[in-house]
Amino acid sequence: MSSRRYDIHIASSQRQLVDISDFVLAESSITVLFGESGIGKSLSALAIAGLIDPDQLSVRINDRKYDDYLRSPDLLDIRRNGFFVFQEPSSHLNPLLTLRTQLREGSLSESSTEKRILGKLWPGSSTSIAQEILDVYPKPYRPSGGEKQRILAAMAFKKMSTADSSNPGSLFIFDEPTGNLDNRLRNDFLDLLVENFRLHRTTVLLITHDYSIISHFTISYPDLAKRIVFKELMLDRGKLRLREFRPSEYLDWMADRRSRPRLAPQTTELLKLGQSVRVFGRRLLITRDHAGKDPSPLIIRKGALVYLKASSGVGKTTLAKLMMGLLSAERMSMQFQGMEYTETTHRKMWSERVWGRQMTMVFQHADEALNQNASVRDVFKGLPLKTAMDDAGTIKRLSELFEEGLDREFLRRPVKHLSGGQKQRLNLLRSLVLDTDVLILDEPLNGLDFASSVKVIANIEGKLQRGGGVLVISHNEEIFDALASRENIYYLHATA
Amino acid sequence: MDTSPGKIRGNSWRISGKKDILWLLVWIGGLLVLWVWDALFLNAPAFEKIQTAFLNSLWTGLMVVVLALFFGWFLGVGLQTLERSESTIWYTLASFAIDIIRSVPQIILVLIGYVLLTLLLHEGVIRSTMGQLLWIAFTIAIAVALEVADTVRERINYFRTLDFVDAMLCCGISEQRIVNVEILWKNSRSHLLYKLIAIFGVSIFLQCSIDFIVSVGLSTDVSLSNFPMTLGSLLANVDSKQDILALSNLFTDPGYLPTIVTTHLQGVSVAICIVFTLICVYMIANGFVRRHKLI
Repeated sequence: MSSRRYDIHIASSQRQLVDISDFVLAESSITVLFGESGIGKSLSALAIAGLIDPDQLSVRINDRKYDDYLRSPDLLDIRRNGFFVFQEPSSHLNPLLTLRTQLREGSLSESSTEKRILGKLWPGSSTSIAQEILDVYPKPYRPSGGEKQRILAAMAFKKMSTADSSNPGSLFIFDEPTGNLDNRLRNDFLDLLVENFRLHRTTVLLITHDYSIISHFTISYPDLAKRIVFKELMLDRGKLRLREFRPSEYLDWMADRRSRPRLAPQTTELLKLGQSVRVFGRRLLITRDHAGKDPSPLIIRKGALVYLKASSGVGKTTLAKLMMGLLSAERMSMQFQGMEYTETTHRKMWSERVWGRQMTMVFQHADEALNQNASVRDVFKGLPLKTAMDDAGTIKRLSELFEEGLDREFLRRPVKHLSGGQKQRLNLLRSLVLDTDVLILDEPLNGLDFASSVKVIANIEGKLQRGGGVLVISHNEEIFDALASRENIYYLHATA
Repeated sequence: MDTSPGKIRGNSWRISGKKDILWLLVWIGGLLVLWVWDALFLNAPAFEKIQTAFLNSLWTGLMVVVLALFFGWFLGVGLQTLERSESTIWYTLASFAIDIIRSVPQIILVLIGYVLLTLLLHEGVIRSTMGQLLWIAFTIAIAVALEVADTVRERINYFRTLDFVDAMLCCGISEQRIVNVEILWKNSRSHLLYKLIAIFGVSIFLQCSIDFIVSVGLSTDVSLSNFPMTLGSLLANVDSKQDILALSNLFTDPGYLPTIVTTHLQGVSVAICIVFTLICVYMIANGFVRRHKLI
């Protein structure tokens, strides 16, 4: 199988951002690229696609100046015959054109597959919704993140349908194309990708943090085992390296998780939230079934991992913030550690009794949740710990989620200079050191590589064994379905 | 060696991008040139007056900056604390009082301060030059501190729109620490420093304007002659006025220029000192904003 090899060096005026000499893409294959957030996956892909502004960053590719690379026939071919789906869909779409216009712009007008593609991405009765969405402008009507991602995917698949399989310039890059899609829609996207790939044998680079994609590809497409390649971008002794990621690493771990008996929770209830909460003029209903027919209070017991599921935008994070007393509900009832918390509970009560003492929450966006201008050491300052953490203690706790051999130099490092994955681990650790009775985790595996995810889950299990209760909100259904017992899985629905 | 265009542009940015530092050096350099020029051509008593006036104005300006930071920080944090408290009455009252102060032009507030200073001098409460300058600085700081308070509140409100504050609150970190340390100290120093640079310029301008206005005298007992020498009061001095009026000779006799810069130096030096300082402060503030990408 032929391949493209890239030697990529990217630096800002202050520091080296990417330095990798073995970025290999197998041609006429799907390369699924994993790796911690902020490690350089997107930047490398943007550099290959010639999308970095040379005024902003210093770039060299295959020992060539970037300006030379931008003029090279290879790149012109990629631009003419390939497609790039950006991680942030809003940055891809033109706010002044309707989605329909953009879907038929330029070379995309040559394809006649639009209806079929939209039908697959908006399955069943939602096909008519897709047609309505096409007539809106990205601003001010603001389609949801999932809708925008599917529009971008539709553009890419239309382009793919016109690709010539013999042309090596047909490079399709999808950067986190399923981040806003639930599992069902994600699988629809993957199926459509494979369907188009079978027809046109293009070269595909799929960047993602979602390791459960491995299960879908492996189970659904065993015949493509040699054409779907899994790789992980990782830091190896300070140097970026692209390693083969064997599907068995993930699949065996998942099998092991499933085979282990769930930790039996104690009967002691730590927290009980009424089955419905009213906020922002909407009613959030908690149920035990996906269909929303079996309303139930949400109960967190000692030693229990409770998993709350819902589609994007339903209000999972809102519910977590209500439970933490960060938002005011119009109607809410929660019993926690012998106290009743309602919509009228004074904020002082939350701050004096709950926050950081009995319950804490890890927010999903580490970039916002952490002070970027603080040092790693500063992140642990001001916490209500029984005994203050000195440098040695901080390094010891950091080693639970970070690699071994951290030193005081790392403690002095500004948070803004850490990778996205390191920030997320720091974000998690800040709450884990508090050892509260209940811990709420909002997308705890966001931006983490596989090794870090395993460490985080081990840490969560440690907390459960110590008698803590954990509420998890996550799109990583495969992993948390395997960790939470059936009676601890809840669904959230929003009604008027 | 990496000579890619991006790298080269990056290096040149490092040299030319620090316009604030460049203008600070221009200011210091310009003042040194003026000092040398005055040392060479100005008579000793007038030279001493200029030095005293400049140092007094500079000291007052710096005190304004320190006091305005203190008052503005306290006011900004206090207001946002009251705003988020359960009882709205204190916030309403405080906002009302501050809006009244805001509605009065700064120059009027400072003039009121001068009137009070006159009374304090008359009663003998304040005697020393340092005490008088401190009072003037205090008065100007009261007038301009609202601008610092507004910046403080803007920064706090901005961070409240992110998960930043909530994530820390959830971890049991006190709200006072989040506001004072995490938001203002670690994330707003550049914004506040920019505001303080601007306030330094405003304080020099206000001082000069007021000193010029009060040169007509505030009472029969107290006049500018009782106040410490500043650039504004020196500009209002009759000798300086004559020097500046001499500039009009240039319209009819351009050959008079060498005479101006050698014999009418007191007024010209003070005028240059004020205008040059204000221009440089303006350029420093603009350069600082660009370098730190504050807008």
